[in-house]
Amino acid sequence: MKSKASSKIKEISKLKYEEKPFEWWGLTPDKARKIAVNKPHGLYNKRMTLKEAVQKHIKDGINLGIGGFVNTRVPAALIHEIIRQGAKDLTLSFHSNSICAEWLAGAMILEPDRISIKRAEIAWWGYEIIGIAPLLRYLTSRGLIELDDYTNYGMSARFKAGAMGIPFIPVRDHGGTDMELVNQGKMIQCPFTGKNIYVLPACHPDVGIIHVTAADIYGNARIFGALCTCPEIALASSYTIMSTEKIISTETIRTYPNLTEIPYVAIDAVIEQSYGSYPGACYGHYWFDMEHLQKFRSICEEFRKTSNKEPLKKYFDEYIFGCQTFDDFLEKIGYQKLKQLRELDGGQPIIV
Amino acid sequence: MSEYTDFEMIAYTGSRILEDGKIVFVGTGLPIIAATHAQRTHAPNLYMIYEAGSLAPILEMGVPLSVGDTRAAHKSCYLKGLCSVFELTQRGFTDYAFIGGAQIDMYGNVCSTIQGDYYHQPNVRFPGSGGAGAMAANCEKTIIIMALEKRRFVEKIDFVTSIGFGDGSADYREKAGVMGAGPYRVITNRALFGFDAKTKRMILLEARKDMKPSDIQALVDFELIIPLEVKVMAEPTEHDLYLLRKVIDKEGYFLKRVIK
Repeated sequence: MKSKASSKIKEISKLKYEEKPFEWWGLTPDKARKIAVNKPHGLYNKRMTLKEAVQKHIKDGINLGIGGFVNTRVPAALIHEIIRQGAKDLTLSFHSNSICAEWLAGAMILEPDRISIKRAEIAWWGYEIIGIAPLLRYLTSRGLIELDDYTNYGMSARFKAGAMGIPFIPVRDHGGTDMELVNQGKMIQCPFTGKNIYVLPACHPDVGIIHVTAADIYGNARIFGALCTCPEIALASSYTIMSTEKIISTETIRTYPNLTEIPYVAIDAVIEQSYGSYPGACYGHYWFDMEHLQKFRSICEEFRKTSNKEPLKKYFDEYIFGCQTFDDFLEKIGYQKLKQLRELDGGQPIIV
Repeated sequence: MSEYTDFEMIAYTGSRILEDGKIVFVGTGLPIIAATHAQRTHAPNLYMIYEAGSLAPILEMGVPLSVGDTRAAHKSCYLKGLCSVFELTQRGFTDYAFIGGAQIDMYGNVCSTIQGDYYHQPNVRFPGSGGAGAMAANCEKTIIIMALEKRRFVEKIDFVTSIGFGDGSADYREKAGVMGAGPYRVITNRALFGFDAKTKRMILLEARKDMKPSDIQALVDFELIIPLEVKVMAEPTEHDLYLLRKVIDKEGYFLKRVIK
């Protein structure tokens, strides 16, 4: 399918890259639709443990959609459990992430037979003010993972297209940049205006993982603070595992249905896990732990510079492999720290 | 005149550029400081939009350390997600994009993806576009912050992440399918640049008082347009520095760093 429309990027680009035929990195829209159709659509109690949810849904070779945004409301507890149980040849899909992606990368460096990332379709991988992501740099400079670059809106729009059940979505960005040459989008001529418009394929992860403010046992979820792209990721994914700070009653959900950001049909597993985004932040509950983020990042930076795996291994042994549950990890962080982070949130108003 | 740092000069200059009654789409760090300074001085009706999903928050908890920070969501007028704020931008409600990057060319195209020429195994991988690509495409005017160094102001950038005027041709942006008018200002620690309306090339507007236009050209790899009249960059007053240091970034997360 060769499109005649084109921007003028080739006139300024100096990039060298391999031309790749189009390929869905997640499910095709038809397959994703079929899975949704064949699911039971009643209200069923979906509560389970992190262990059970990961065991049930996370398999080798899947496309894993990761919710949150950089350090905000990231599915930290779920990533820990995925690392403990292992999953190989993962495709990651997210817009912007920091420690979740770096934890997976770190586990891959230490135990490639347990965890490996094959490729990632993303917009941004880093820590903002804290610095660049050392393990991303390590893996890419050795050609160990394949990347596909979009803008933050591009990835969000791809999840949104998935959530809408449409195969592609027109967007007003990527055109005229090198992303146009390397990613899976295409420039086409708009059938109505006759002008060039960039289109992106829908993104349907096999499994989406998100963390929310509150949810009932069926998966009806409330999110306070920035929604990021969590509702779209939940709806686009074939299966969505959702951890929540708190389980709330369905009566409350039914009293204020306008507050439901994710409907239960999009959710396949509900796990109550307080501090489930730690060391990330969760609006209304706790701020991020700059100290822990910096500590992990500096261990990774040391590895990148020296190739010494010991400090990295020590971190994983202590905080991930050496823990049975996420609560064990929180125990190591300690009450004083968690209390301080709760105070730093400043008691943002939430309705649960 | 009081002593100020490079970052303080950039933040102050950024503030000067922002007009009242507008919306600025901010990235982490200096853009937020600049916009807050503008709000507290000449632009009380200027508002910020943050890519995780907030419009017009009140930054009374301190400077957000991330654009998804609780501090950036606090007391906003509208708080949704990435789709909402980027769609407001596509729709035409966002006046300024305020972005950074690793390299820039004479047409205001910016790289923040890789250093090196081979995409699949770059010498250095940067975090990627993040919000910048969409901001530069669809906010009406793009403001870029960059340290003034020859390795950053280059003839050809390694990867076009954020669209500028492309090759300078009149229809580059239209053919790219983007909506905003394009690059507007480039702020550095020593000079302020704009873009020539006709050629779309970078033009020197203001230089720091200790810099001659030829000194600025010496720090830029491509040929700048240097008009006959180049203004002297305004310097922050005591009061501006007080606002920047003691009120806005009182924890010193952003302004206390130094340009390497």
